[in-house]
Formats: sequence, structure tokens, C-alpha cells
Amino acid sequence: MAAALTARRAPASRARRRHRLRVLAFLSPWLLGFTLFFAYPLAATVYFSFFRYNLFQLTPVGLTNYRFLFKDPYAWRAIKNTLWLVVVMVPLRVLFGLALAQLLTRIKRGGNILRSIFYLPFLIPPVAATVAFVFVVNPGTGPVNGIAAKIGIHLPDWFNDPDWTKPGLTLLALWGIGDVMIILLAALLDVPTSLYEAAAIDGANAWQRFRRITLPTISPVLMFSVVTGVIQTLQYFTQAMVAANASQGNADQAGTTTAPGYPDGASLTFPQTLYNEGFQQFNMGYACVLALVLFVVAMFFTLILLRRFHAFGDDD
Amino acid sequence: MSPRPWRLITASIITAAAATACTAGGQSPASGGPKADAPQTIEVWHGWSAPHEVKAFEDAIAGFHRLHPNITVKLVKGQDDTKILNAIRGGNPPDVVSSFSTNNVGQFCSSGALQDLTPYLKKDKVDLNLFPKAVQDYTQYRGDRCTLPLLADDYALYSNKALMKGNPPPKTISQLTALAKKLTVRNADGTIKVAGFIPSETYYEHVPEHIAGPSFGATWLTAQGRADFAADPAFTKYLQWEKGLLDWYGYDNVKKFIHSMGQEFEASNPFEKGKVAMAIDGEWRTKFLQQEAPKVQYATTPTPVDDARANTYGGGFVTGTIIGIPRGARHAQASWEFVKYLTTDTDALVTFANGLGNVPSTIPALASPNLDLPPQFKTFLDVFKNPNSSTIPSTINGGDFIVKFQSFVQEQWEPGKVTNLRQGLQGLDKKVNDALQLAGG
Amino acid sequence: MTGTTLATRRAPALGSPARRRTRRRGRRILYWVATHAIAIALAIMFLAPLVFMFLTAVMSSNETLTGELWPRSWHWSNFGTALTTDHGVMLHWLLNTLLYAVLATAFMLVSSIPVAYALARFRFRGRKLAFVLVITTMMLPPQVTIVPMYIVWARFHLTGTLWPLILPMLFGDAFSIFLLRQFLVTIPAEYADAARVDGCGEFAAMLRVVLPMARPAIAAVALFQFFYAWNDYFGPLIYTKPDSWTLAVGLSTFRAAHHVEWNLTMAATLLTVLPVMVVFFLAQRVFIQGVTLTGVKG
Repeated sequence: MAAALTARRAPASRARRRHRLRVLAFLSPWLLGFTLFFAYPLAATVYFSFFRYNLFQLTPVGLTNYRFLFKDPYAWRAIKNTLWLVVVMVPLRVLFGLALAQLLTRIKRGGNILRSIFYLPFLIPPVAATVAFVFVVNPGTGPVNGIAAKIGIHLPDWFNDPDWTKPGLTLLALWGIGDVMIILLAALLDVPTSLYEAAAIDGANAWQRFRRITLPTISPVLMFSVVTGVIQTLQYFTQAMVAANASQGNADQAGTTTAPGYPDGASLTFPQTLYNEGFQQFNMGYACVLALVLFVVAMFFTLILLRRFHAFGDDD
Repeated sequence: MSPRPWRLITASIITAAAATACTAGGQSPASGGPKADAPQTIEVWHGWSAPHEVKAFEDAIAGFHRLHPNITVKLVKGQDDTKILNAIRGGNPPDVVSSFSTNNVGQFCSSGALQDLTPYLKKDKVDLNLFPKAVQDYTQYRGDRCTLPLLADDYALYSNKALMKGNPPPKTISQLTALAKKLTVRNADGTIKVAGFIPSETYYEHVPEHIAGPSFGATWLTAQGRADFAADPAFTKYLQWEKGLLDWYGYDNVKKFIHSMGQEFEASNPFEKGKVAMAIDGEWRTKFLQQEAPKVQYATTPTPVDDARANTYGGGFVTGTIIGIPRGARHAQASWEFVKYLTTDTDALVTFANGLGNVPSTIPALASPNLDLPPQFKTFLDVFKNPNSSTIPSTINGGDFIVKFQSFVQEQWEPGKVTNLRQGLQGLDKKVNDALQLAGG
Repeated sequence: MTGTTLATRRAPALGSPARRRTRRRGRRILYWVATHAIAIALAIMFLAPLVFMFLTAVMSSNETLTGELWPRSWHWSNFGTALTTDHGVMLHWLLNTLLYAVLATAFMLVSSIPVAYALARFRFRGRKLAFVLVITTMMLPPQVTIVPMYIVWARFHLTGTLWPLILPMLFGDAFSIFLLRQFLVTIPAEYADAARVDGCGEFAAMLRVVLPMARPAIAAVALFQFFYAWNDYFGPLIYTKPDSWTLAVGLSTFRAAHHVEWNLTMAATLLTVLPVMVVFFLAQRVFIQGVTLTGVKG
């Protein structure tokens, strides 16, 4: 922009070339990275999807891998589960994060401590948090269901009951709300006080202030939380896999592989199917088909969100 | 920058990279590396993890160190097939791998993940008849010998003498069922206090392959290597018996009982704790009982069989730990020396078998007077030699058909979600066959 | 800044001054009690699993299976046992994790800042496309490209190490670029322009003028990257072998290796959480400063 302003007609082309070089220099790490770690693997994924490939033998099989997708019971189960998480878990996380952030703006004394407490679970490595969580809510050994039973609440057998597995994972995700909360809290604190004062003079009530001032000001950040929330859910893997292994009675035996997504496929997410096919069954060609499906779905969400938020709110 | 050259560059890099990727499967001949007498360190992955098991392995290879002082052996415990296959496919494998399960032999051999050992065997003139016939079979896949047996496992019925209340161990399924009911003690609310026999496949070793095959005579695959769940009546019979007993306990009660019991390989195991009267388990349990619950009085007898197959009594499920050399192993010569020593040396096998409470996998070791095992172990040696003992077939995609059957039993059949068993099994057949086809089987 | 609350900004309502004041005070107290009660209840729920973890970590191994809440005897040595078990394998995992987290963070910063700067500052053809592509790569789950990437790294014999996870960070991380760019856009162009008038090149202007202003965003991005690497399970699960395991993968096997010695597993878990907590509490000021800075600027 500055270059365009300062450059006059005669040296324009030279200035433009210099500008181009500068842009190129600044962008170069990403241009390389984009090519090496996005464009190439994407093309290779398409290529390998037409082969049977176990990393040792490469056999062309035409559309066999694509045809199998329609017969694959795991893939469809995983798509359903992942959609469930996108539809339920993402909005719940953003709403809960916003509620916590709002709450924190209202606490004067001890606000810092509370913020740290709410943020803390997010820092626990997911593997550790999941193992701990499964243990804590396990009806047999964990204390939570026991305590609830004492006050007359009968809690389900979270991670062993197909109906309650995803709600259990959602609960776990709400416990680790820290990332969403801290981002939204920063946004809330960023809303200029003068705006509230002005609104107060106009006699706006709390809800009106929230609707007319808070929400518009933080909407780019809300959008950001939703975007990242969807990303995280499409690649939701660790918690689902660790929870399934930790809750399954016979998962400890070395050498035995078990059907993914215990119990009854309820925790099977799409990336897990891909991992299972690609890195446990070593149907790498078919895993590429799954990767392409994941890519299409991810692109679909990207496009929806790009449109919904006018190419991310701010524009040139 | 203008988009056109940029697009061009991207396109050319993609094509160049894609072209190189096509040859990624290319293989360089193995069996390289330093000679066996050069100083070197080999990395050995195995699945054992309990302290007494790890120590047994270390003891077993003491002789190898004396024989080959130049080779340092680095043992890495607690590995499973997924990790092994990942390491091999990643081109960065350990020198020797061993797996608890024979399920994946088909995959190991057909994919070339483990090297064919025939050239080594020929060179050193190792006679395969050193190993019992069944053991020879489950360590190869369609003539491709990519593994050797490292000790064997088989299964039989353990019964707790105190809880049996003088009843003799059952020989048939109907006796087992009657006794299981008779010996069960319930709490006031109907939940299980002491179980006679937990039929659920989620009870540690009560997985279908340990019961459906040996007791009901199920054959897993057709001659063409396709799934046979719907057509083979043995599966239906097994499932109906299993569910019948399960429902007698009450599905929720069994589930509750299973969740409350500890992990399999530790002192809180319900058999060791006296919470179940009878259980089918592997021979290694004798060692765990010795270590963790020396006061429990118990007997071992062969797995009970379906009444219609009473003449087959005496057999059981047989399997074993396998050991092999990954493709791309850096010290293949030394690795072979290690594998040869561990799988054929009688003293090593006997030491190892004694330490683990496992069945030795060579005929000389089976006959060795140095085998020092509890009296209950004799049953397992007999089952091992019995002609009615069986194992599961090998396929190109490993134990996938078992995994699928197990999850069908555990997640649909046991909770009572299957209304039409025949249809359910037909659906299962199709799933298994589709997956086999995808893998190129 | 955090001290300023919406409650103090409440507007005077209508009505006579005296009645207004008492009613307002009553409502305020009620409001105060309600928010604090909710906050404290939530805080207890958030901390409960951690407390249970801690209590389990100091129990004896048998006690962990009983569902008891309070340890009958306190076994502090469990922490030591967890650390030293298996010849101190946890320390080994810790070193691997640090290698991954530190290098990935450093590489990411070096490569991503100029890109974000260019996307925020420069006008050029394809800029919008470039930004859309950044978002696309950010949206892309790592599993989409994992198969070919794995094949490539295997060809370089780098599988079994952490390098397949570290090296790509030299080429910009989409998430960080996106976040930094979003922040840099909000810094008025005049600052950089002024620096350039003083004779600075574009790069120097970025380094000397804009970056110091963006420090909170940079700190946040660095922390995110650090935590991401620290917590990453999928990447190390695919690429590493026991030598190069990180804490995340190691912990998942720790449980299997120690069967159901939940006390040791929980002790190991707490030890894993500890360094991250220390980093967080040290870096918390950076966060707050960042928030304050944005406030001043706005």
C-alpha cells in the first residue's frame, strides 16, 4: 500500500517489482510450506486412492477403494458420530465459554484465581485428562458416580454405554473449555468501556447492552472460536481413542487389536477410522479415500464459514 | 506476485514429488548389515511387561551373551503389533520383534513386513521338525515362513477348589452351565458376589476363539478363506449358550461384575481373589497364581466341550508367541543368531518357560527334565499335545475377522440388540469378506 | 483492566434518588451473591477431577479400585516411583517432549511472523487468495495429508523420530499465521509508515516497530504452539517409536505397563501437568499484558 502511494509513474514498474520481491520474500516460508505440506500431499492422496498400498506393494485397483467406502460400516458410523459432535459439542463449548467469560468479567476479587482454575483443565494433556476423567466417572472405581448416588442422582455408565459415550466426551470437552474461554474473555475485556457508558446514558438494559455492544464487538472472536471449534471436532481423535481404550475391559492385552470405537462404535470418529485403516490395517489406499472425504467435509465447513462471516469480517 | 508462474511452480513441484512417491514402495534387499561376529547392538521388541516376565527374558538370553559376547541385546518391553508394524513400515524397525498373537502372521508374511527365514534356516541347517506340527503351522502363512515360535500358550479350565465345594470340574458344556449356576452366590440385590463362570466374552480370556473353536468345533473360515459365521452351526450354538447363561445372571449384573474386577495381569484378578469359581485361562496363570496368590488351591482340566462333541474332550485352544526379523533390520545376521538361539536352544527355552510359566515350543524342550513348573501345569502340556487342540486360521488382514466377530458379540449380541441372529451373522460375513477383499485377499 | 467490571459501570435507573439507591444496593448484593455462588460452584466442579487425581495418586494401589475418596494412608513415594520406574523413562519422555515443543515453537515464530505481517500489511494480487488458502490449510485436519506425508518421511528415514513434526514448523503454521495476521491488521499502518519515513526497510520496520506492539499476540501464539506440541498425541503416535516417545504417548502406555496401578498413573499424570502449569503461571502476565495492551490501543 505504501509502495503504491509513494511510487510515481516513471519508476512504477521498478518499484512494483521490488514490492513483489518483498512480498515474495516475506511469504516464502509459507509458499514452500503450502507446496510441500499441503498441495503435494493432497495430490498424492488423490493418486494413492487408486491403489492398494500397504507401504510394501503398490497395486492399482481402480475405483475399488471408493466402492468400499459405501460398504464400510465403520466409515458411516464415524461420519454420524463426527456430525453429532459438530452439532452438539461445538455450540455448547462456545456458549459455555462465553458464559464463563461473562461471569469472569463480573467477578472483582479473586477473578484472576477463578480464571486460572477454569483454564487449568485445558492445559492437562488430553491423554492424561481423558484417562483421569474416565477413571473418575467410572461407576466401578471412580468417585463421581458414587457421590452422585449418595445424593440420589443415578449417573450413567458414561464410557461403556453407547448412548452416553458422546455426552461423556462432551462433558470432558466442557471441562477443557479454557481455550475458548480465554479468547472470549480477552475479547470481552477489549470492548471499550466508553461504549457501555454511552449505552447506559441511553438507558439500555443489560441484555440490550449485550446485544448491541458486546455481541457485535466480539463477533469476530466468536466466529474464530466457532471456526477453530469445528476444526478441532473434525480432527477429534485423542480423547475418543483414549477413552475407548481406557474404558474397555479387555484393552490392556498387548497384541490384540479390538474393533475401533468402543462401545459399539459410539466413540468412533472419522480421523480414527482413517488411522485404523491407514496405520493399523495398512489399507493406505483406502485411507486416502477417507482422507479425501475428510478434506471435502472440512472444505465444506470452511466455505460455509467463509461466506457466513464475509471472508472473516475485516476486509481491504 | 502474479498468479500464473506461481501456479506453474506449484504444479511442477507436485508432479515431481508425485513421481518420486510412486516408487516409495520400492524395496532394497535386506540381509545386509554387519557380520554376526562384529561388535554391535541389536534392538529386540517384545510384549511382556510384568517384572517377573521381563526378568525371565533377561535370564533366558544370558546364554546368548556367553555365545556371542560381541552382540549387545537391548530389550524393549510392552510392544504390540500395531507399534511393530508401524516401525517396520516406517523403514526404521528394530532388529528383532516378537508378538504375543499369531493373529497377524498372515499379514506379517504376505506383506513382507517380516523377512522370510527360509534362507537362514537352510544355511544353518535347522530342522523344522524340532517344532510340533501345530506350531510349525501357525508360524507360517501359505508356505511363507516369516516367524518362528518362541514358547507356546494353550488354554484350559481353572477351578478354585474351595469354591467348587467338592464338585468335580466339568467336562461338558451342560455340566459347566449347571455348575456355574450352582456355585454362583448373589448379593441381596441380585448382583453377583461370587460367580460360577462368567460367560461374557469381555471376561479376559473368554474371547470367542478360546471357546467357540475348541468347545463347539467352530471353523472360522471356509476352504476359500471366506467368513463362515452364518453357515457354521457351531457359532449359533456357541452364541445361544453364551447368551443363555449371561441372561441367567442378568446382563447388567455381569457388566457390573466385570467393571468391578481388576485388570487381568495383576493380583486383583477375580480368579486369584476367589471371586469366580471357574475360568478359562492360559497356562501362564499358574505362574501368576504362584507369584500373586500362592494360597489359592486350584485345579486345571481341559476346556469343557459341547455335549455332542464329548469325544473331543482333552483339547483346547493353542497359540503362541512368535518371533521374527523385520525387513530393513540393520543387523540381520546378528538378529538371526539371536532368533535361532532363542527358538531352538533347549536350555534357553526351558529357562524362559520356567520363568514365564509358558509351554516350551520345541520337542526337546517339552521333554526336558529341567522344566520346573507347578503340578497344575501338566494339563497344559497334555492339551498342547492333544490332536483335538486347534488354533485360528491366518488371513491377509490378520485377525480382522475375529475382531469383527468379537465386537459383534460384545456390542450387539450380549446386550440383546440382535433380533435375528441368522441375519446378524450374514451381515457380519459380508463385512468380513468386504474387508478381506479390500486388503487383496 | 480485569478489575473493571460491568457491575461498576451500571447506569443510574429512574426513580427518586433515595429509593433508587436502596433498591439498587439490594439488587447489587443479590447479584453479587448469585454470580459469586455460581462462580465458586463451577470452580469446585472444575477442580474436582484434579483433586480426585491427586488423592488417587497418593493411595495404595489396591485402594484405587475401591472407589474410596480419601486415602487411608498417604503414599507420597508414588511420585518418586512414577518418575524412576523403568530406569527413569519418564524423564526421557520429558526430554523428547521439550525437544519437540521448544523447537516447534521457535521454528513456527521465525517462519510465521513475516508471513502474517505480509498478509496484514502488503497489498498485492492474490493476497486474498493467499489468506483464504491459509485458512484452508488451517481448517485442514492433519489426518488429511498424513498418508503421503508418512510415506515421504519414511523415504527420508525420519519416521521413528520427532523431526516429521518439527521440521514443517520451519515453513509457517497456518493457525499461527491466521491469529497473528488478525492481530497485526488492527495495528494502524501509520506506525510502520512512520518507521519507514525514518529510513527503515520493511523488515526493520516490522522488527522494530510493529513486532513490539504485537508482543502479546506473539506470546499467545507461541504458548499455543508450545502447548499444542506438549499435548500432541496423534503426531507422535504416528511417527515416534519408544526412543522418541513424548509424554503424551508414553503416558498412554504407562497405564498399560502398570496395569491398573491407577495411583502411579495418576502420579505420572500430575507430573506431566506440572511443567505446563508452571509455564502457564509464569506466562500469565504476558496474557494479561496482552489484553491490557489491546485495551489501550482500542
